[in-house]
Amino acid sequence: MNVLRRQFLKLAGVAAAATAFGGLGFDLKPTTAHAQLLKLSWAKQTTSVCCYCSVGCGLLVHTAKEGSGRAINVEGDPDHPINEGSLCAKGASIWQLGENDKRVLTPMYRAAYSDKWEPKSWEWMLETIAKRVKDVRDQTFETKNAKGQIVNRTMGLASVGSAALDNEECWIYQSMLRALGLVFIEHQARI
Amino acid sequence: MTNHWIDLKNSDCILMMGSNPAENHPISFKWVMRAKEAGATLIHVDPRFTRTTTKCDIFTRIRSGSDIAVLGGLIKYILDNDLYFKDYVLNYTNAAFIVGKDYTFKDGLFAGFDEKALSYDRSKWAFELDENGVPKRDLTLKDPRCVMQVMKQHYDRYTLDNVSRIAGTPKEDLVKFYKAYAATGKPDKAGTIMYAMGWTQHSVGVQNIRAMCLVQLLLGNMGVAGGGVNALRGESNVQGSTDQGLLYHILPGYIGTPEAKWQTLEEYNKANTPVTKDPMSVNWWQNRPKYFASLLKSMWLDDEPATAYSFLPKLESSSAAKYSWLVLFDEMLKGSFKGFFAWGMNPACSGANAEKTREALSKLDWMVNVNIFENETGSFWKGPGMDPAQIKTEVFFLPCAVSIEKEGSITNSGRLMQWRYAGPKPLGDTKPDGDIIYELMNAIRGLYKEYGGAYPDPILKLNWDIASDHAFDPHKVAKLINGFYTKDVTIGDKTYKKGDQVAAFPALQADGSTCSGNWVYCGSYTADGNKAAKRDKTQTEMQERIGLYPNWAWAWPVNRRIIYNRASVDKTGKPFAPEKPVIAWEGGKWVGDVVDGGGDPGAKHPFIMTKDGFGQLFGPGRVDGPLPEYYEPLECPVDKHPFSSRLHNPTALQFAAEQKAVCDPRYPFVGTTYRVTEHWQTGLMTRNTPWLIEAEPQIFCELSPDLAKVRGIGNGDKVIVESQRGKIWAMAIVTPRIKPFTVMGQLVHQVGLPWHYGWSFPKDGGDSANILTPAVGDPNTGIPETKAFMVNVTKA
Amino acid sequence: MSGKTFFIDLTKCTACRGCQVACKQWHKLPAEATKQLGTHQNPQDLSFTTYKLVRFKEIEDKGGGLRWLFFPEQCRHCVEPPCKAVADGYDERAIIRDELTGAVIYTEFTKALKDLEPTELCPFNIPRKDSVSGIWGKCDMCLDRVHNGLKPACVQSCPTGAMNFGERDDMLALAEKSLEAAKKRFPKAEMANVDDVRVVVLCAYPPADYYEFLMADAGPNVAPMTRKAMLAMLTRPFRQS
Repeated sequence: MNVLRRQFLKLAGVAAAATAFGGLGFDLKPTTAHAQLLKLSWAKQTTSVCCYCSVGCGLLVHTAKEGSGRAINVEGDPDHPINEGSLCAKGASIWQLGENDKRVLTPMYRAAYSDKWEPKSWEWMLETIAKRVKDVRDQTFETKNAKGQIVNRTMGLASVGSAALDNEECWIYQSMLRALGLVFIEHQARI
Repeated sequence: MTNHWIDLKNSDCILMMGSNPAENHPISFKWVMRAKEAGATLIHVDPRFTRTTTKCDIFTRIRSGSDIAVLGGLIKYILDNDLYFKDYVLNYTNAAFIVGKDYTFKDGLFAGFDEKALSYDRSKWAFELDENGVPKRDLTLKDPRCVMQVMKQHYDRYTLDNVSRIAGTPKEDLVKFYKAYAATGKPDKAGTIMYAMGWTQHSVGVQNIRAMCLVQLLLGNMGVAGGGVNALRGESNVQGSTDQGLLYHILPGYIGTPEAKWQTLEEYNKANTPVTKDPMSVNWWQNRPKYFASLLKSMWLDDEPATAYSFLPKLESSSAAKYSWLVLFDEMLKGSFKGFFAWGMNPACSGANAEKTREALSKLDWMVNVNIFENETGSFWKGPGMDPAQIKTEVFFLPCAVSIEKEGSITNSGRLMQWRYAGPKPLGDTKPDGDIIYELMNAIRGLYKEYGGAYPDPILKLNWDIASDHAFDPHKVAKLINGFYTKDVTIGDKTYKKGDQVAAFPALQADGSTCSGNWVYCGSYTADGNKAAKRDKTQTEMQERIGLYPNWAWAWPVNRRIIYNRASVDKTGKPFAPEKPVIAWEGGKWVGDVVDGGGDPGAKHPFIMTKDGFGQLFGPGRVDGPLPEYYEPLECPVDKHPFSSRLHNPTALQFAAEQKAVCDPRYPFVGTTYRVTEHWQTGLMTRNTPWLIEAEPQIFCELSPDLAKVRGIGNGDKVIVESQRGKIWAMAIVTPRIKPFTVMGQLVHQVGLPWHYGWSFPKDGGDSANILTPAVGDPNTGIPETKAFMVNVTKA
Repeated sequence: MSGKTFFIDLTKCTACRGCQVACKQWHKLPAEATKQLGTHQNPQDLSFTTYKLVRFKEIEDKGGGLRWLFFPEQCRHCVEPPCKAVADGYDERAIIRDELTGAVIYTEFTKALKDLEPTELCPFNIPRKDSVSGIWGKCDMCLDRVHNGLKPACVQSCPTGAMNFGERDDMLALAEKSLEAAKKRFPKAEMANVDDVRVVVLCAYPPADYYEFLMADAGPNVAPMTRKAMLAMLTRPFRQS
């Protein structure tokens, strides 16, 4: 018996059980993770990159192939040369960002002077926004400035966002905004 | 970052100033600790003792906002003690340039100041040119008007006494820092800087970074492994979103947004294409017309670049005082906008003077808010102090997918473009942002096609071929961003077919025969495929030594991992640090990283993005001065500058209605804001994540035991923090990690708060610390000064 | 017997809490309701749903020095687990030991121990009882991961090399090397409870500075491990329990 055990058992004031249990065939039932590992073998594995800070840590994402089709595990990618599998508290929590019951799952509309949100269809939302955009653009479009120079800009619309988008999304977003004539275009990089 | 994350391991001395990487870029510390294990000195210069400080060899505590004084002292220390890297300074920086006779600096003001307009005439800071228009140089560095001498004179006032008095830092703590960092001036030693918003969010934000650029150039730390100037960017794709031009002043690829004074593409190019007659200057921006034409072509594929130029909106001026963030919300408050997009952003918490922002939202007719969660911006109408019945703003909330549910690329702080794949499908009815943008623009185009309207051409002719099977296709857009030939072209002995991907940006043309959505990304998606998706870890022995990993993903520009790497070798192509070579000239070719500028050793000046090719110790391009000068934050605890009569940056971005507390007894303590590891930005993507809100559940205010005693505050008590603009509650963390400063003989207390909280969730989490911060900013960029302001703290 | 061992190098921990969250992620353990009580440490203690907790402690030394100490706490997977010795008296199925790794595993039969206090089971005050079911819980060494060739979630998440895991001999060798390196900067660095546990902790300062239960109280006569003792320990055969 080692020092620690002897000392402790004395301190704890209980008698030492004589038999050391040798793993005689009990299942390791309490590990919920055991079930999860079984699930991983039924999962699709994809790589991703962390969405929080700018270190760019690699992720492994495991998605159930059957049933829910949802993510079941997200952890650091051990092959990634920057993070070598490691993740901070935020990176380690990404599974919970996706599988999160506070996510809004349907478009919501708040009417003028209303005190509540109402669910709406994507179709209604996008059509209504498109009409609003066109109305404001048509009303506030400046062809020329005070000096008579051609400026072709929309002064009644502004946009902020977003570093949360992928490169390809950012690019088409700026393309849309500039085609619409916006000059008030800003995002996280400014602040 | 000029360098990249793994490269931190190559450093001999890592300075963390204006940043807290152990907490806010935690995985960077893998590489910081590798450097430390290899013998590097770690230095933290900060108002607070943080998780970063715990691993550092030297901690120098400075008052929030005193950075330029402290760095000016470092510059003086290097110059006084002759610790700079002489060959490097002489050959690779503009130290030998002669500054024109009009340049002066007197009592805190540079030549050319207009007291009425509060701006400078920068022509007064120009260099003297020879008969070819090339800057004159004095290689003895003795001419009293050469940059070296001008700089020596400028920083002569940054004595240890002056710096210590204004920063509130004991002299011995300054010297310890200066001595350790200046030791990297030896040719084979590298020092690096890791900075973040602690430097940028100031009314002297740009000059904070300029000051460090001076240090790095003097010590020969640019371009080398373990060196560079490294901005630790705050978001996973804020590098990419900046590259893609989601800012008023730049189009994709850092092409300046057209101004009204340039009515044609020809006029734009004439005004924006630098010319040099020095054959050794690469002067990269001479290629701007090719990149701009290719960008215009990518947006309007069926039109000539000159026509497409007329489709682009024109700015009145590119000044930060015209369209930048703070101005945008000031205009919104005045009712200038009817419609507003808050796309993947939460300005009701992230902008300085958050109450002003929130009120401004109520002046809109409508707002589109795209997000994962309900947030303080989209739901501002039901926030504290708001009466929904009085608020007209219609809000359209569009729920988007999370990152693991979609495919596309993001670019990290080291300019590494990495591809992500979709795991699960978007939850519920959520959509990837790309699909939302695609479908919205389809609807707008449909309306213009059917009904016409104001100047419909840019909308109807826009290249909107970005989908496959009616869904946004990130591969299609990535290929467009890279660029392709728009017609069959023969260049030299090679023929390219219409639709072939362009191999790299040297192939881009100004005549419309190529398109490229972003020239800096040209080379990322070529005939060889999608390079952002590469997962090949092979490297040569030389590359392995510095952890270059050139085949893992792809970095802009042209897969160069360390920018300005030409400055890491002497004029014969021999590395200054033979143990950690970035590039080397071997057997008649360059090996290692992709060399900057090309050509034989010694044939080109290394700083290829500047017109003259030299590192700019004296930088006449910034609006607030060619050399960094110390000014107090616009809210500060002193009424006198220690060595000039200009207390503040005279050109700072300000608004008439914004009150500022200067030596105001109602707001006696210096405040600052920051982040913690467990939360991110306004907290929306972490407050809603149970494991993270468990770890940092509520807003806190860190204060010293001395201040706690003065105010009768116990650890864990609820306190009220109040500024000129508003007040919030916070839970007190009374900690010896915060200490008061002695500034100009007076005791000055410092406090700090994280800005991750908001009223929407959790209910007892607290509100945004930006309710306290002033809407004033840097004159170059317009970034708000949220890192140094004045508050009062009392027990709730 | 060899089996697996953790080596925790406290000179490298930055308290990023990747381990704390990665543990919850892998085990899908729910978050607890917490409050800001004047410390960055949260939750305040281990629980039935918190197996891994980074403890924070600030110490001001005479002369103005300041130390902010972090200790990522977890079950030590004792070589001869006292908890098992106690539990076997109630139900031999309650606590079992995995032969391959040496992991100490709690089963649902721990509800037989419902009347005990944590300190009656464990000198490190680790296990916690679920107030509803009466079942006890604690770190399970991510046994399912380890049996499948993966590192425990906490170890994989660690960026700085504070958390390490592997074959016992390898870990003890790493611990010895790390202690030597640490001594240059922290002359009083020491190893806590090397012999008796499968979680070897290198402390830059006296273990009690970090947390009262970092080192089990083995009596006043047990001196901290010296380098010589460490070497001796490395060369002798590992004892069977």
